[in-house]
Amino acid sequence: MTTPASLPDIDYAGVAPVLIILGAACIGVLLEAFVPRSQRWAVQVVLSLLAIVVAAIALGAYLYTGPQNTSTFAGSIALDRPALFLWGTLLALGLGSILLIADRVVEPGGAFVAQAGIRPGTMLDKEQANRSSMQTEVFPLALFSLAGMMIFCSANDLLSMFVALEVLSLPLYLMCGLARRRRLLSQEAAVKYFLLGAFASAFFLYGVALLYGYANSVKLADIANAAGGTNRSDALLFLGMGLLLIGLLFKGSVGPFHTWTPDVYQGAPTPMTAFMGACTKVAAFGAILRVLMVAFGSTHWEWQTIMWVVAGISMLLGAILGITQTDVKRMIAYSSVAHAGFLLVGVLALDGSGIRATLFYLISYGFTTIAAFGVVSLVRDGTGESTSLSSWAGLGKRSPLLAGIFTFLLLALAGIPLTSGFVSKFVVFAAGMSAGITPLVVLGLIASTIAAFFYLRVIVLMYFSEPAADGPTVTLPGMYTTAAITLGTLVTLLLGVYPSFMLDWAGTGGFVV
Amino acid sequence: MEYVPILLLFVLGFGFAVFSVTIAEVTGPRRFNKAKQEGYECGIEPSPQPVVGGGRMPVAYYLTAMLFILFDIEMVFLYPFAVTADALGVFGLVEIVLFIATVAFAYAYVWRRGGLDWN
Amino acid sequence: MTVSVYEEIAFWILGPLSLAGALGMLFSRSAVHSALWLVLTMLSLGVLYMVQDAPFLGIVQIIVYTGAIMMLFLFVLMLAGRESSDSVVEVLRGQRIWASLLGIGLAGLVVAGVARSLGDVTPAGLDNPAANGSGGPGNVANIGQSLFTRYLFPFELTSALLITAAIGAMVLAYTRKQAKGGKNRQREMVNMRFRENTRPGALPGPGVFATADSVATPALLPDGSIAKESLSRIIETTPVTQIEEDEALADRHPDAHALTGAARDGDDGASIVASPASEERSE
Repeated sequence: MTTPASLPDIDYAGVAPVLIILGAACIGVLLEAFVPRSQRWAVQVVLSLLAIVVAAIALGAYLYTGPQNTSTFAGSIALDRPALFLWGTLLALGLGSILLIADRVVEPGGAFVAQAGIRPGTMLDKEQANRSSMQTEVFPLALFSLAGMMIFCSANDLLSMFVALEVLSLPLYLMCGLARRRRLLSQEAAVKYFLLGAFASAFFLYGVALLYGYANSVKLADIANAAGGTNRSDALLFLGMGLLLIGLLFKGSVGPFHTWTPDVYQGAPTPMTAFMGACTKVAAFGAILRVLMVAFGSTHWEWQTIMWVVAGISMLLGAILGITQTDVKRMIAYSSVAHAGFLLVGVLALDGSGIRATLFYLISYGFTTIAAFGVVSLVRDGTGESTSLSSWAGLGKRSPLLAGIFTFLLLALAGIPLTSGFVSKFVVFAAGMSAGITPLVVLGLIASTIAAFFYLRVIVLMYFSEPAADGPTVTLPGMYTTAAITLGTLVTLLLGVYPSFMLDWAGTGGFVV
Repeated sequence: MEYVPILLLFVLGFGFAVFSVTIAEVTGPRRFNKAKQEGYECGIEPSPQPVVGGGRMPVAYYLTAMLFILFDIEMVFLYPFAVTADALGVFGLVEIVLFIATVAFAYAYVWRRGGLDWN
Repeated sequence: MTVSVYEEIAFWILGPLSLAGALGMLFSRSAVHSALWLVLTMLSLGVLYMVQDAPFLGIVQIIVYTGAIMMLFLFVLMLAGRESSDSVVEVLRGQRIWASLLGIGLAGLVVAGVARSLGDVTPAGLDNPAANGSGGPGNVANIGQSLFTRYLFPFELTSALLITAAIGAMVLAYTRKQAKGGKNRQREMVNMRFRENTRPGALPGPGVFATADSVATPALLPDGSIAKESLSRIIETTPVTQIEEDEALADRHPDAHALTGAARDGDDGASIVASPASEERSE
């Protein structure tokens, strides 16, 4: 008889939001197995939306009790302010994404293919293109991914972080390949994302191994302690950190690690692009923030110059390459690379105001992105979405409301006052200035100006050029897409006009060690 | 030293294989015909393979392989659980039951969707 | 840090083997050969783990990686077609040179970094209960203790990964066969086979009256004539004339009790044949 093991204590109230989403995903899989095909869509939509709402209520209830910064599951999951804020952000953005995924009006049957196993271009495929069903597995997969993201930005040891990284990525790889239209492009996107993502995961894992070799632990706090306490060679520490960060920066589509972003954003079904663009960014930057501040904060003098360079490259690459794009989805992809650079400025401030600025930036950018992709999915011609920029010419005359909303969202992405984009850029750059990284902030301002050019170009195109005769039409959105676009636009406006309450929420505390 | 029996087993196995192959080579008669040159598949005639693509396999094999890996990994986790079950008590039992149940969901899904049917 | 002689011997055998496997995987032309080289690498690594006091990891490496994952690799290669090869067109000019230079550079950096810091590391030893803070004796017990207490959350989370993998495989690889124009499901196939086909079982083998047990020998019916169904399409040794005669015999409803019929032996392989007659053979 062996001695009883010391069992970990679990704060069920604290992790309830994550457990609810995971549980709902599992139930979703069971429903896929046992519910007849005709009812699956309705059941899955109800389950997914319900799960997110219940999880949000659980999160609210937990916050209402005024919890201290703690961690649970033997220190694997941090329950600190940034983590809880990011959970709320992810749940809200997840709600918007699920709404976009659930829409079956814009594209009859939904943006997802009815049967992904049928080879593109065959007779069966042409037949199923008009069938009004979709792979409803998308809903449980999206929930799994969402749960993975929530865990990813609250994981306090590198092992949990790695498993969460895979849980969030695998469904994404899969869902990228399920577009109903332009299936080959979509499948190519999925394969590219999968191969590069697997490669990035390998880097991450190698980094974890080296850091374990250095600190004899995978816990972030132990790594920080080891870095402060020993006088052994730091080669393992910095080598491990570098490899680890490559994996993380890849997920956040930062700077030179962004190469997958345009292709995948373009090929994936648009609701999926919205989900990736908004939620993955939040999760990845949540994790980057935590890793840099908790594990490597004590050694920041050694590595911060390199990260400044990465941030600078990301801003400039995104802004300059964005100008040359002729496709709306690719343009937003490059814009997301530039935004990743701006976000890094907030992260690299490495203090409380930096956390606050980054968290605020993430939530405002996420909502703007979801609304923007919702609008993109509405502009269509006979073959599906019409994402080529030239076909957007004169849209302001055809559909003033849609063009107006998109203009507002583009202005938010550009960072014009009265939008959330302005406030978020402002707080991020302010945090950077007070932390003394002025050159990077100046570079950020230059990049913002360059980027503003291509946003404005689209606006000019929509209003000041004649619509083409065979141009695309604007589909009237169904309930779900309307809800998602409205949600995104309203939050963008609200956070632009009255940001202080969100800034207060974002700034309530630091990381648990 | 505790690995010596394993080593011995390896040596025995290797020796047996080498012995069988050589002794068949030395003593067996050699009368070839076309049938003997064909791949042997449990008595089933190998069906001719398409020239294009160099003999592709049906994708159903992939599904089976994937499922096999799933339960292989589940089994790998069961072994350390079995060894520590005593120390972990009821808590450990709940953990592992939860794990198995979750993987069983995947099984139920594949089964109900007909992924295990074989045409 | 001391290394025992046995460990050193094991290392110097397994190290080069695993390296050879890796290089073989890179440089072999056929993808299937690459996969088999990779098996060598993984086996060597598995044994290396065992030498390093981690028998559980070693066995898992062999069971899961060399067994299951490599099998999956081979299936995937077969899916793509084992003869299909990479396109050799360079889409980005000079990409290969830069990729190899940077790759080698990174490898050099990592190896140098690890080598430099190895001197400071004290081996913990997986058998030592004090080293990893848990009470159980032995490697597997320690792993179990860590897995189910300290790393409980990541462990339970892996089940989410496994579910996703299953769904992914189904979604991408499986189509509803009973849909219009598709095939039937297994149950219907079985029913159909028994309803429409007169022979649910296997085709006849050489049987008790045969003169040899080779598949090239046709099965003999009780009257000594040849069972048509046993003639193989791919075997060329059966003479055409013989088959035609035998088929003529078989069509005449021979007397089952006669036991004589037109049995021939001794002229196996006497003339060359492609047997058009056997095309009619029922499947």
